[in-house]
Amino acid sequence: MQTPVLPASRRAGSVRRRYPLFGIDRIQQVLFIAPTCLYLIFLTIYPFVYSVYLSLHKVRLTTLHRMLFVGLQNYVSLLQDGLFLRSVENTALLVVVSLALEILIGFAVAKVFYEIRHIRWANGLRSVYLMPMMLTPLSVGVTFGYILNPTLGIMNYLLQRLGLPPVPWFGEPIAAQISIMLINVWQWTPFMMLLILAGLTSIPEEIYEAAKVDGAKWHHIVRFVEIPAVRSIILLGVILRVIDMLRFFDVVYITTRGGPGDATMVVTLYAYQQDFQYFDVGLGSAVAVLILVISIIVTTFAVHFLRNIENE
Amino acid sequence: MSRHRARDLILFAVATAFTFVAAAPLIWMTLGAFKTIAEIISIPPVWIPDFTYLNNFTDLFENYWPYMLNSLLATLGATALALALALPTAFGLVNFKMRGRNALADWILSTRMMPPIAAAVPLFIIFKGIGLLDSVWALVIAYAGFNLPFAVWVAMSFLRRVPREVLEAARLDGCSWWQTLVRVALPMSRSGIMTVATFVFIFSWNEFMLALFLTSRTARTFPVVISSFVSTGKVYWEYLSASAIIQCLPPIVFTLLMQRHIVSGMTMGAMKE
Repeated sequence: MQTPVLPASRRAGSVRRRYPLFGIDRIQQVLFIAPTCLYLIFLTIYPFVYSVYLSLHKVRLTTLHRMLFVGLQNYVSLLQDGLFLRSVENTALLVVVSLALEILIGFAVAKVFYEIRHIRWANGLRSVYLMPMMLTPLSVGVTFGYILNPTLGIMNYLLQRLGLPPVPWFGEPIAAQISIMLINVWQWTPFMMLLILAGLTSIPEEIYEAAKVDGAKWHHIVRFVEIPAVRSIILLGVILRVIDMLRFFDVVYITTRGGPGDATMVVTLYAYQQDFQYFDVGLGSAVAVLILVISIIVTTFAVHFLRNIENE
Repeated sequence: MSRHRARDLILFAVATAFTFVAAAPLIWMTLGAFKTIAEIISIPPVWIPDFTYLNNFTDLFENYWPYMLNSLLATLGATALALALALPTAFGLVNFKMRGRNALADWILSTRMMPPIAAAVPLFIIFKGIGLLDSVWALVIAYAGFNLPFAVWVAMSFLRRVPREVLEAARLDGCSWWQTLVRVALPMSRSGIMTVATFVFIFSWNEFMLALFLTSRTARTFPVVISSFVSTGKVYWEYLSASAIIQCLPPIVFTLLMQRHIVSGMTMGAMKE
């Protein structure tokens, strides 16, 4: 009678031992997750709340102990400041134009790399093509400052050799805006291309074959197979790029400092100048809060669209 | 068959052209880094410089090595800290049975939206208060924080691939969660860890704005030094091009060596699985 008891209790024991995987160990579980949460609260949530607080005060970076509560006055003066409105306009234009170009060119390049994926050297070529997006944005700014320099730059030299007039790349408002967009497109098209390529690669081979059997032309395939397949990944890319472009700073800081005039002033540079040149951290914080609000709005809309596409 | 060959050849040529556009600015900058100032301003341009002329580089290393070291320390410190925080968290979010797990993961990812400019002034004030202003530690703390959401997210996507049975077996053998993570899950995810590390490294290495805010003299990182070459009236293009190349070298090396990791990291970061 004793022998059957032992295996039974063992079995019971083993059943109990399986459950710790889903149960207890609470302390260890908390230690795994809590530090990150606390860190993020300390580093992102708290500074943000602090920014909101600062944005409601008249306060200078040099005299932080003297704060004067002014309510929404900083926001009101922002909306009345032509330079701020210009920076919003410039940022919006930059986002729309460069994203449109990044998606179009990115799609074309991805298609080319997709078609030659069986060639041995294609992979190496692709990794060189991807390089710009990994580069330090500040260095990218320096590089283009060198290439597009009006006197010693190679670009104007080449233009002149081709019999074209030199372009004042950073010297005139419209030219400077276009230059900044081109730098952005140059650096970030590889990112879009990479996402679109991942989307294209995920299309099952059979769909292509079925389409060919049905006599589909290449533009049919692009329109009815490839674009639907990459739509949602493009939208994700757009979300990430919009969030990033609202932070766009390094390249303008090093090339134009927002000039000439206010032609290339962007929101983050504006906030930087308020904070660390005029020491008006109340106003600067108000800009920062608005940037975050815009990020949230854009992302919410985009995610909403994304869900709709995926549900289709 | 030959039509296929011709088509491939044309497409390959087009791909090469795109790649040339992507690489040309960098190539021109690299050539500039080996030129004397006279060669840089000469018209018609000097196309191929004398590659044994290394003065731009040696001058920079001699005078600015402490700032390069700052960059390196801040970057390595941030990478280590971000990994130490992100890996257990990602592991927990994947494997622990607890309420609100998905909401927590979403919240962590959503903090990526926080623009650094919105944190810059508060961080400046906090670090000033605890005496960490103009210290590499401030940069380590800030960079690790801003990279955490992405790191957790990518780490989650590769930790999900560790088979559940393996983890359960480890738990049955009496491993604590910590042992399961360190002895079982992490050794099985080496390439995933490399992916996260690469990204945190490159993002931190490339960071400029926070460094501009939080450092002033001793802790300045190399990008801040580069920016000072431009803002002081006369522009030293020979040093600028050499310093841009030095600054870009780690990202370039990483892209070429770890392209597989970079591709998977970028797409994993963008795709919710």
